[in-house]
Formats: sequence, C-alpha cells, structure tokens
Amino acid sequence: MKRLVAVLFVLLGACTTGPQRSLPPVVEGSASRPPIGGATAPGDTAPQPVEVPPSAPATGGAVIALLDRADSYRASGDSANEAAAIERALRIEPNNARLWSRLAATRLEQGQPRQAEQLALKSNALSRGDRRLQAQNWQLVARARWALDDGAGARAAERKARDLGGS
Amino acid sequence: MARKKPTARRRSSKKKRRKGTTSRFPGRKILLTLLVITVGYVAFLDFQVYRQFEGKRWSLPARVYARPLELYVGLPLAPEQFAAELRALGYKFVAVARRPGEVSRNASRFQLVSRPFVFWDGEEPSRALRASFSASHLQSLQDDRKGDAVALARLDPLEIGSIHTARQEDRILLQLDQAPDTLIRALIAVEDRGFYTHHGISPRAVARAFLANVQSGRVVQGGSTLTQQLVKNFFLTNQRSLWRKFNEAIMSLLLERRYEKDEILEAYLNEIYLAQDGQRAIHGFGLGSRFLFQRPLQELSTAQMALLVGMVKGPSYYDPRRHPERARERRDLVLQIMQEQDIISQAEYQKARREGLGLVQAAAGTSKSFPAFLDLVRRQLRRDYNESDLVSEGLRIFTTLDPQVQWALQKSLDARIRPLLDKQPELEGAGLVTHSANGEVLALAGGRQAGFAGFNRALDAQRHVGSLIKPAVYLTALEQPGRYNLASRIDDGPLEFEQSGQLWKPENYDREFHGEVMLYQALASSYNVATARLGLELGVNAVIKTLRRLSVEEPLNPYPSLFLGATDLSPLTVTELYLNFASGGFRVPLRSIREVLDANGEPLQRYELSVERVIDPGPAYLVHRALQMVIEEGTGRALNGRFSAQLGLAGKTGTTNDLRDSWFAGYDGEKLGVIWMGRDDNKPMGLSGGSGAMQVWAALYAAAGAVAAQPMKPDTVEWYQVDKLSGGLADSGCDNTVQLPFVEAGSKPPNAPCARGGALRWLPEWLR
Repeated sequence: MKRLVAVLFVLLGACTTGPQRSLPPVVEGSASRPPIGGATAPGDTAPQPVEVPPSAPATGGAVIALLDRADSYRASGDSANEAAAIERALRIEPNNARLWSRLAATRLEQGQPRQAEQLALKSNALSRGDRRLQAQNWQLVARARWALDDGAGARAAERKARDLGGS
Repeated sequence: MARKKPTARRRSSKKKRRKGTTSRFPGRKILLTLLVITVGYVAFLDFQVYRQFEGKRWSLPARVYARPLELYVGLPLAPEQFAAELRALGYKFVAVARRPGEVSRNASRFQLVSRPFVFWDGEEPSRALRASFSASHLQSLQDDRKGDAVALARLDPLEIGSIHTARQEDRILLQLDQAPDTLIRALIAVEDRGFYTHHGISPRAVARAFLANVQSGRVVQGGSTLTQQLVKNFFLTNQRSLWRKFNEAIMSLLLERRYEKDEILEAYLNEIYLAQDGQRAIHGFGLGSRFLFQRPLQELSTAQMALLVGMVKGPSYYDPRRHPERARERRDLVLQIMQEQDIISQAEYQKARREGLGLVQAAAGTSKSFPAFLDLVRRQLRRDYNESDLVSEGLRIFTTLDPQVQWALQKSLDARIRPLLDKQPELEGAGLVTHSANGEVLALAGGRQAGFAGFNRALDAQRHVGSLIKPAVYLTALEQPGRYNLASRIDDGPLEFEQSGQLWKPENYDREFHGEVMLYQALASSYNVATARLGLELGVNAVIKTLRRLSVEEPLNPYPSLFLGATDLSPLTVTELYLNFASGGFRVPLRSIREVLDANGEPLQRYELSVERVIDPGPAYLVHRALQMVIEEGTGRALNGRFSAQLGLAGKTGTTNDLRDSWFAGYDGEKLGVIWMGRDDNKPMGLSGGSGAMQVWAALYAAAGAVAAQPMKPDTVEWYQVDKLSGGLADSGCDNTVQLPFVEAGSKPPNAPCARGGALRWLPEWLR
C-alpha cells in the first residue's frame, strides 16, 4: 500500500513537472494560453511559444525507488536517512514539487520548523498550479509557524490552505 | 616512564659506588656505568619504537571522495562520459566482466560488475549490470544475471584526495585479513623468509648478506628482516651507518618483544615506502596499488602484486614508470621466487610473466587531482573539525564534486587560455559550477593549471565585478512594482554626478548614448549610463541592502560607482549572489560536503540541504526574464548560435575598465557557472566578458550538457506583449514585439501607438 501511495505521489508529481529536460522555456501555465473564442486586446497575454519534442526518458523509476527507501527509513524512525534519501531523489528531479514538500514534512519531524517552512514555500514555487499540493504545503507552513510560536503567521497560512480547498 | 628509569638507576649506582670503593675490582665501576647507560638507552629506544608504532596505528588521513555516480534510466550522461568515469575509477576493460571492477563495452552498451562500497546510508552491494546509452542519456539499466530492470544503482565514488599531515604522507589503511594471501606469502618469501621464526633480527640473513656484499665489493643485499625494515621506515632516513644499523637491530628486538607477528606484519603492509608522487610519499600496499594501477589491492593480478613486492627493495630504482625494464626484471624475479616457493603454480607463473606491467597512466583531461576543490572542502571541514582529527582519525568525507563537470570546466578554461598565452603569458582564469537547486559545488578551478595547488582564485581573488553587479540594481527597482517594471523607460543620455567633490561621468562600453530604453534593455545590453541613473534614483544604500540580503558579505564600495561594479568580489561570492537568481529567489548555501563518516563507517555528520526565500516570487521571475534577455538580444547573444533558444539560458557578462577582468555568470535549468579571466597583477589583458569568460562558459555547457530552464510563473505575474520601439503594450498591429512578464498588481506601460487602441482588437490567427 505504502509503495502504491509513493508511486502515485511521484507520478502525480511527474504530471505537474513534466519531463525535466524538454519543456519550453519561460512561458508556461494556463494563464499564458490565449483565450479561446475571444479576441485579444493590448495587454492580453502572449501566445504560447513553440513546444520542444520530449526526448529524455523519464527518471520516475529511480525517484520511486528512493521514496520507497525513504518510507522504510521513516518506518524505522530514522529521519536523518529518510531526509538523505529524499535529497538524493531531488538531485535527480530538482523541480519535482512533491519531493520538496516531502522533504519539508521530514524536516518538521526532525524538529526543524524553520527549514520546513522554507522548503514548503520552495515546493509551492514549483507546484505549477497544483492546488492540492499548494494547500498541503500551506498546512505544513502553518504547522511550522505554530512550532515557531508565530500564531498570526500560522493562521494566515491556514487561511491560504483553506482558500485553496485544503481541509 | 623512559625518562625516569635512568635516574633511578643512577641513584642505585651511587650506592654501589660507595660499596665499590672497597671492591677489589676497580673495573666494576666502569662496567656498572656502562650497564646503566645501556639500560637507559634501551629504555629510550623502547619508548621511541612504542610511540612510533602506536602513533602510526592511529594516524590515518581523512579520505575525500567525489560524488558517487548514480545510474538510473534517464540519467543525462553520454557513453563516452560514462567510459571516462569508469576509467578514472580504475575499472578494467575486459571482454566479459566477471569480477567487481571489471567492465566490457560494446559501443554504447556496457556490461559491468560494480564494486561494493559503504556509504552514509549503508552498504551498496556489488551488482552485475547492463547499461545502454543513447547519445545523451542512459536508456536502460538491467541486472546482468536476471535481466530485470534496475531502478537505481550507485557506483563506488572516485577518491579525489586525502587530508594529511605536514609530512605529506598518505596511505590507505589495510587490515591484515584484507591483504591478499598471495601478496603476503610473496612478500615474506622475497624479503624475509624467517619472519615467523626470528625475534626481530636474523643473524643468518645478515651473514648471507655480508658474504654477498664482500664478494661483490659493494652493498648488493640487505639482511634486514621485515621488522627491521619497518623500524627503518619509522625514522625515515637513508643513512647506512653502523650506528643506525645497531639502533635498528635493538629496536627490532624490542618491537618483537612488545607486539605479535601479525601486528608487525599489518603495520609493515601499511607503512612501507613504495613510491613518490611529486611531494606526496606513497606508503603502504593499499595506496601503492591505487597509485600504480588505480585499483584496490584485492583486485590485482598475480603479476601486479609481484611488481609491488619487488618495488619494496628500491622504490625509486625500480620505479616502473621511469624504469619499466628494470621493474619488469625485478617483477619476474619475484614471480620466479613465488613459483619456486609454491606460492603460484608453473602455469600461473608462465601466465603472469607474459603480462605487461599494467600501469595506469591518467588519461588526458581526466585527472583525479583537484587541489582547488579540495581547498574548499578543507576550509569547510576546518570550521567543524580539529586539524588533528582531520589528519589522524581516518574520516571519510563525501563531497559534491562531479568529475564530469570538473573535467569539462578544466578543459574549457584551458582551451580558451592556452592559445592566448603567447601574447598574454600572465593570463589566468577561475571557475565555479554549482547545482542551482541544492547549492552543491560540482566543479571548481582555481587557476588555469588544473592540477596545480596554488593561489585559489575561485575563492580568494578579489576583483572588480563590473556589470555582473547590475542585476542587484535592477532587482532593487523591480521590487518596487508600483514604480518599475521591465518596460519602464530609463534615460541612457549623458549623465554627470557630483560625488564627494568629484565629477562622475559614466560612459557606455561602446562610448555612445542610447536615449530612452526599456529597463530590461538597459540590463540586457549592459548600458552603464542608464544603470547609473536608475541606481541614483534608488540610492546606494538600497542597492547595498539588496546585495547584503543576497549573501554578499564583502565590504562594498559605498559610492554610486558601485552600480557599475567598481567593487571587489570573489568568484565564490558572485556564485552565491547568482544562486539567488538561478534558484528562483531562494538563498541556497553553497555546500562542498554531503557527509562525513568515521573510520568505522559510522555516520558523523550530514550537511543538509537548506533553502530560504530572499526574493519575492514576482521580482525573482522578472529578473530571471531580464537575464534571459541578455542572451536573447543583449551582450550574451553570441550564445544563440550555440544553444537552442528553447533552453532559456540566462546570464550576465562583466567587463572592467581597460579589459582587466572578463566575467560571465550564467545558468541553465540545473546548474550555475561563474567564470573569471584576468591577470593576477590586475593589468589589462584584452578580453571582455563576452570574448573571454563567456566563451569558456559556452564550451563548458556544451561539454557538460545544458538543461532547459523552466521556472514556474507565479500567480502574481502575467505575460504581455510589448512594442519594442515605444515600450507600450502591443497587439497584432505591432511588428516588433517582445514578451515580458509583469507583476499584475504593479505598474504597466500605456498602450503602444502601433496598437490600434481598445477599439481595434485583433483576432487570434485561427479565427482569421
């Protein structure tokens, strides 16, 4: 079951980040697509630049193997090695927002709320419109801020999580 | 203890002297004195030998490793790069790989047996693997025996150095049970057949040697036992005086009294001097094997072991690299003895004799000596460990060095500098490559000579940075989105400014003025006057505050010339500064070490990945776009011929007055590279940022591989088309446009004249 969760987790991550070495630069995301069925005016957003054909094989297998490893370290309460395994995965897929989020959660358990908060923000910066992941990250931020005695900041983060539809 | 003994004896001898006055033997006094002196001296020697032996047993330099190569499907690595890495690791290229450390290659397909290795997170077992590559990636990875897919495998890491004492000794510690039996038996057969029976010295061997020496009239044979040789190595002098021989003999007897034969043999295997590598003395069979064959002792062939055993007799006389014929004769003699003593069979003997010396010459451009990077590692370690622990505790240090990137960096620097040396013999260069997301230092060059440990320019050269500083000025502006955006008009007309009584008149590189330009254009084309004007609007303190937030800790020039980079920074600091941009606005501390293990393989310390947001997502995204425009249409546009626009490369050139410094800082989707070129005496050398450092950077990224940058647009930012002529928002009526991101809540330019206003909207192509 755990393995299945890990696989889903990463595959979802792969969907949102796409193949690492082949995406078009700079302009991306739904907001930059020209509105369909309507005209554009000065100030409307720019058209999507040319797509690059995908070339590199996906690296998901290695990342899943490392997350499996992280899970087994976690099961044995070894959070230092758990974090090390996630960092190894991040070297393979540095733009995988889910890996950053997972590292944030691990840091929180390692008793490093300040890093947990920053890593969750990093994950959000790479989340490409994945609202569920963003909500999850804001919840992590909230927990980290509670741990840092920052009640106002924590409540603000909880609000953001709620606005994004997180429970 | 040793010092007390003689005084005790002296006191007792006084008593005896009083008695002695009545003695009938006056010689007794002299005898007693002699006895006292002898006993005292022996105790002194005993202490010496004890101290040396115990000291050596625990004195183990820290070993330093490069990052291990992780193999997985999708790994960006060309087959040639993989082969170079395996060669550097000392893998033996064979027809069929059977043993750990062997590989067979068929074009882009490899079949190998990896070596087991203990990492931070446990042991990576030896695995039989099949790997096949496309031109640029690892395409499939399988278990060679079962054929099923392997998700991830880790090779043993390249050992890149050790941290040792001032005496420059180095060794790889072996335990006796790790040493091949054949080697030990050969060693004993050749050097000291009576080792297990004598008490430290062997009168029979001495007599035999004496006879041989007398017969030939010179010293041709030594009668030293292994114990004597070990003692001799402890004190490291080559004098052959009788007194020394006498001392050695006494110490050998003492050593044998104190320690077991196996302890002595183990010490010998680790202590014996085998070769010289420049300043570095090669001690012990473990390191000797690495030094000559680039392989662990356990993987050596019989002939290779015989060569090592043969070299004990005269490391420089039988140096196989300088005197291959002599070394080969000696090896064959050792093999013959091994056969006579039944250590090897006749067949093995014949086979071994036919073997070449099997020495490894480091392939060009794949050196394993990275003194400049090690310098960085050492500095980081010294913050956390005592010097004495580093040189004696046998720590194992896992660094972030990526040999592939390091080789590419060294080659690229060399390729740009070498042709210029005729005219510019003083030309130097330095470079640093880091992973943008995690701050790991992948490569570092401290000068144009890669293997040369000297002034480390990457860390210690403090140079004017020129235009490299400008992104900090533009970021300061873009962080006020109500006031500035990438299309803001700034004036690049003549400027005079009075600065502490002096008139400051900045000029552009092309000595021209460009009138009104857009903010992004001023950065992309690196206009000095427009930048100075923008900086003056913002204030020096605001820019200094930005630089401090972006990890620049060096003293900064507090005058407006700071905006144009008239301040000294090291390539290391420039790297830290640009990492903030390359990582999307996060500060990422530089790391050269991942983990430290103690001598028993137990984890001591991890250097964890950490990040901190220091630039808001909006301005970070805008600055990144401006740095991309440098390559698209600015001072870095020469890169377009070499790299696809789809890679979205970003960077900045830097040139200082009279062409004293040539800088380039640039990044792709994965790594940041900072290159500096110039002269140590700060004299002009004729290269701009674009003609010097940027070309090194281009060669580096062409060799190491570039990865598309794909930063995510923050929700607070939208893309617009902007008319290049007027800087207004454009529509289909405008011919010459550029796509720029704007902070949605911030300022935006008015509609461009070419845009026919709100009334005349254009239709997307598919509706026309």
